[in-house]
Amino acid sequence: MSTVWLAIFLPRLATDRLIRSGRAHEGKPLAVYAKEANAFVLKGLDARASALGLRLAMSLADARAIQPDLETAEAAPQEDARTLDMIAAWCERFTPVVAVDAPNGLFLDITGCAHLFGGDEALRAQVVARLEAQGFAVRAAMAPTPGAAWALSRYGKTVAASEDIVSSLAALPIEALRLDEGAALLLRRLGLKTIGQLIEAPRASFTARAGERAMRRLDQALGRAPEALTPRRPPPPVFALRRFLEPLFSVDTILEATKALCGDAAAQLDRRGAGARACALHLFGVDGRDRIVEIGVSRPERDVKALLRLFNEKLSRAAENLDAEFGIEAARLDVVRLERTDEAARTLVAEEAHAGADKIAALVDVLSARLGAQRVLRAKFTSTHAPERAGAWRAALSPADSDPLPGVSAQSDGVMRRPLTLFARPQPIEAIATVPDGPPIRFRWRRVLREVVRAEGPERISGDWVRASATRDYYRVEDRDGRRYWLYREGLYGEDDAPRWFVHGLFA
Amino acid sequence: MAGQPLHELCPAGSGAEAAALGFALAIAASWAGPPGVIWAGEEGVFAEDGAPYPPGLAQFGLAPERLIVVRAGKREEALWAAEQGLAARGAVVICALSARGRPLDLKATRRLLLFAEHNGARCLLLRPLAEASAAWTRWRVAPASSEAQARELGAPAFAIELLRNRAGPAGARFTLEWNVNARALCERVPEKHAPLLRQHAGLR
Repeated sequence: MSTVWLAIFLPRLATDRLIRSGRAHEGKPLAVYAKEANAFVLKGLDARASALGLRLAMSLADARAIQPDLETAEAAPQEDARTLDMIAAWCERFTPVVAVDAPNGLFLDITGCAHLFGGDEALRAQVVARLEAQGFAVRAAMAPTPGAAWALSRYGKTVAASEDIVSSLAALPIEALRLDEGAALLLRRLGLKTIGQLIEAPRASFTARAGERAMRRLDQALGRAPEALTPRRPPPPVFALRRFLEPLFSVDTILEATKALCGDAAAQLDRRGAGARACALHLFGVDGRDRIVEIGVSRPERDVKALLRLFNEKLSRAAENLDAEFGIEAARLDVVRLERTDEAARTLVAEEAHAGADKIAALVDVLSARLGAQRVLRAKFTSTHAPERAGAWRAALSPADSDPLPGVSAQSDGVMRRPLTLFARPQPIEAIATVPDGPPIRFRWRRVLREVVRAEGPERISGDWVRASATRDYYRVEDRDGRRYWLYREGLYGEDDAPRWFVHGLFA
Repeated sequence: MAGQPLHELCPAGSGAEAAALGFALAIAASWAGPPGVIWAGEEGVFAEDGAPYPPGLAQFGLAPERLIVVRAGKREEALWAAEQGLAARGAVVICALSARGRPLDLKATRRLLLFAEHNGARCLLLRPLAEASAAWTRWRVAPASSEAQARELGAPAFAIELLRNRAGPAGARFTLEWNVNARALCERVPEKHAPLLRQHAGLR
């Protein structure tokens, strides 16, 4: 399948933005100006101002002289950029690969997307019609390279390159090659006015930097040199796109569509021998908004049912947030991250052994999808003395990065040196000890006085020098009722501050 | 007890929560097969009694790599997670509910029971003593004083009382010790109900 690029040109972006936002008087010609070399010059014109003979780069004073009732506004490039990005986001309903071409253009890679819209031209016409309906002047053209599409959208008489790019571009002025002013001027001085002339000119004569740059742009437009564009979002390795003749309103119909998308994506994954680890479902509303539903999978998955179950979990919960009163007109499923599936592991003997683990993995996915990944946890061990960090929890969906069980946990003498539960913050207690560096004989915690009948310790855990915390002496103690606590004393007797006692955890 | 789907463990008063948890974990550790243990708890429980501490759990005999902890913000989420865990089959589910909020109604426990029965799974419901329940057994759990040599804490010990038993008489009291190496709860003092314990609790 040959690549098809759609270049979109928004020649009046700055004035269209102002008119759309209602910040310009209706019925008057509008111009946008900016300060350039100590003079105000026109940077943008609406259709009416152009029709009255005003031109870009004209000075503001001249323009006012020609057209006294000209409405003017200072240029706001950042606002324009934001509007352009908004349009780019809206365009993602046509393809996942949308690159912003500042200051007033976009590139869409519509390879393989056009059949959903009834062909390349139908897609192009739809983009143009819908942007115009939103109040933007638009020109758009298609070609096998971004450069050629750009040239046609700005200077072309046709909106699609013919089979032979050279013949489509030959008649266009050299400015159509995305050159800076200096380079274009240089070529014109050399008598090269059209792209055709440049193609025929002897290459060796272009040694100057400006000339080299022009040649590179020419090669890019003709597809002889690669051009790397940076899309707004990294293009997903696998995606499936659907648009709907009637907007979808209910979660049920959206789920139905999601099922179809999962099917499409699963077929592609199958061909690649891979499974999805992370997916994002984009729901494009008639209102122009893009709603994104993300799921994570703990192992590569390409089973439609399993993927659908996760989306179902998310969608049925987010039904009210979906805010689909205007309907969803298109949806795209991106496989954001994929991973090769180990075919050997999925067959024969291993199947049985994996069945249990698979069930747990599927459970983790469902729980994480509904409750949030940070609520479904697996143990994580770190080799450190600080008890709070030696054992903690990580999202079960995230890749395992646990150290092996550190020594203190691995001891298999049947003695429980660490508590079952640990308080997020050690709880201060009032404790009375008979011996200065011995365990307390009684202590008050949660307003109850507890008498210690047994104690083991101390286990000295030196301060974490990174966090500059004090040395702790830990004791395991049992009170008269058999309740067991993990206590510690911070600081030592004989130092300036009296030592403080805490309950850090509970034993059974 | 081993063959039945839903059991309820209630701490005997405040301060016995850790003991009830330990008892639940001991049972889970003695039952747990390869799929492991799903521990679905309400956030409130973790705040009140402390959060699960992996090194301690490992020393207690629970394989950390087979343990999944769900910290549910709401009670319904904890129950839902427990139901999903039961539906995954094979895993032992511990569902820990907070003392705050209104007690769990009969319907909710019946749901857990149905999920457990339907999937042949086992659920341990850890919650304050309450009235209505569809559980097969209900145990009141208190810590038991250590009988180890002076200055040593010895094995975790529980004083438990069988409050309710759908499959037989209730009212038995035992003192059990958790033997990590054998992965078994052992009776410390043989009482007159010992045979009953063995019959119904399936414990060594």
